[in-house]
Amino acid sequence: MDVIANVFHGFGVALEPVNLVYCFIGVFIGTLVGVLPGIGPISAMSLLLPVTLSGTPESGIIMMAGIYYGSMYGGSTTSILVNIPGEAASVVTCIDGHQMAKRGRAGPALGISALGSFIAGTFALVALMLVAPSLAEVAIAFGPAEYASLMVLGLVVLTFLTQGSMAKALLMACIGIVLGLVGLDSITAQPRLTFGRIELIDGIGLVPVVMGLFGLAEVLLNTEQAIKRDIINAKITQLMPNRDDWKRSAGPIGRGTVLGFFLGILPGGGAVVASFASYALEKRLSKQPEQFGHGAIEGVAGPEAANNAAAGGAFIPLMTLGIPPNVVMALLLGAFVIHGLQPGPLLISQNPGLFWGIVASMYIGNAMLLVLNLPMIGIWVKLLKLPYNVLFPMIVLFTIIGVYCSSNNVFDVYVMVAFGIIGYFMRKFGYEPAPLVLAFVLGPLLENNLRKSLILSQGDLTTFVERPISAACLVFALVLLVAPLLPALRRKREMVALDEGA
Amino acid sequence: MSTTRPAFRLNNSEFWTGALGLALGAFVIHSGLKLKLGTVNDPGSGFMMFYVGLLMCAFAVSIVLASVTEGGPTFASRWEDARWSKPVLIIVCLTAYAFALEPLGFLIATIPLMLLLLRIVDPVRWTLALPLAVLAPFIVWWVLKHGLAIMLPVGVFEIG
Repeated sequence: MDVIANVFHGFGVALEPVNLVYCFIGVFIGTLVGVLPGIGPISAMSLLLPVTLSGTPESGIIMMAGIYYGSMYGGSTTSILVNIPGEAASVVTCIDGHQMAKRGRAGPALGISALGSFIAGTFALVALMLVAPSLAEVAIAFGPAEYASLMVLGLVVLTFLTQGSMAKALLMACIGIVLGLVGLDSITAQPRLTFGRIELIDGIGLVPVVMGLFGLAEVLLNTEQAIKRDIINAKITQLMPNRDDWKRSAGPIGRGTVLGFFLGILPGGGAVVASFASYALEKRLSKQPEQFGHGAIEGVAGPEAANNAAAGGAFIPLMTLGIPPNVVMALLLGAFVIHGLQPGPLLISQNPGLFWGIVASMYIGNAMLLVLNLPMIGIWVKLLKLPYNVLFPMIVLFTIIGVYCSSNNVFDVYVMVAFGIIGYFMRKFGYEPAPLVLAFVLGPLLENNLRKSLILSQGDLTTFVERPISAACLVFALVLLVAPLLPALRRKREMVALDEGA
Repeated sequence: MSTTRPAFRLNNSEFWTGALGLALGAFVIHSGLKLKLGTVNDPGSGFMMFYVGLLMCAFAVSIVLASVTEGGPTFASRWEDARWSKPVLIIVCLTAYAFALEPLGFLIATIPLMLLLLRIVDPVRWTLALPLAVLAPFIVWWVLKHGLAIMLPVGVFEIG
């Protein structure tokens, strides 16, 4: 009964006109960045992070969340019609979605993608409502040792799932931790790695780092390739899938939803992992696996459901433990912190309006997305024809403005340009930025909890293995670190390894 | 089946990026030591940094070793089939912009930047590039100043 009362309370918050407007702006921008190749939800969220300052915490976070799950919907449009993923989680949709479009079935592909996303998104929200409060009650018992071990696990899982060499990903995570430690030590107030610059006393800002590594570096990478777009020009009719399409898609949507939700909860996981895992699962379960890659609707329905369910599931570790499971959630954590809120076990009990308001807004946002993505598909198709040589200077302009507005400081623009250049070279040499950014956010929290647990245990390192949750996290992390040394597991890792930052 | 070890080449990009990681790790260890490690039951400001630096060195060494034993792509191959001059031009423009932004102010610095970006990569025709380069920064400046009361840098000419 409590849950129902809380949901009503949440709808009261989400249906306030100002929150409805912010929700619409969020899902609209999310769809927009999902549709446009070269700009993803991470860039858009970091660009709009300063905007959240102007409203209430509810409004700002509702908008940021809308961008995230909105981009999951929008990304599929570009994948199906242009064969270029609008954002990383839609890479798999290109395979069969574009083949369907080439055979004159763009409508059903877009339809099943939007409807599958809606079903999965709704399921994820119901599960979020049921799981989050119970997990938050358990998490109250977590001490610094558990938090430190959980963060180590999160970082290790992300490095395990990152494309390419694991040593490179771990090196990136270490650099991220060091960058996160720049500024005053929270315990001794001693300045660290500030090089006498007053601007670095408060540390390096999250916005310039993310905008540089993901926004600017992405622009630099895109401009060195002549992007060829194979846009489906035929008029898109009959968006609703037929009876046979539904029959073939029901199973993949159901399985994708459950799989995506659980992969979303895991630290280091997320929408990208979920979509790849769902595609692999459907291909394995299919009676006609040879159809995959040639326009099988199951290859669109499953991954699209999985990435949307994962987007919902990813809110659980952030809201209940205060630990962002991926870079997008790290940005959302930034939005909470800007408003003086600390996500964690006490968030739901201390700020019920905020938590349930965000959850309720996601229901409303999912309904808005269905309207934005089906009847308005023609507008998004027109937008796809915007040439990249006109688009990228605008992206550069907005990154500069976004970074400057986050701190009113030109120094952050320098930092963003520097990280843009570093990010470009990192990607060229096969070093992924996602572990760096997650470690940058988790680094100070990890240090704080590590030092606290050592002080509390009077230097007894066994505190990390004596506590069952902490021990389980460390054992799992150790298994993942050792796994790439075993050839069979290394092959499996290469199959699921991803480019999270794309 | 015989497995021969590839000959090590000095232009192996993996080797040099690993070496850079090693240098960074050594710097982090040095910084940690300078900040004082403290003790295990009372860790100091440099405690975490020191141990993270050690891990960095370990991972960097494994990258270097892998590059020596398994070989790796050369610097040139990383830019094969890429229009490398385009990102270089953008980097030059952005670096110049970063230095010009504060002294010249937002409007005077941003309009030429936009024009350059619109013309140097895949040139947009002048009739579109010129109005876009002027109007986009101007509209952004106007909205921020009058709508959100955010002041962008005005520079020595105090324009904006």
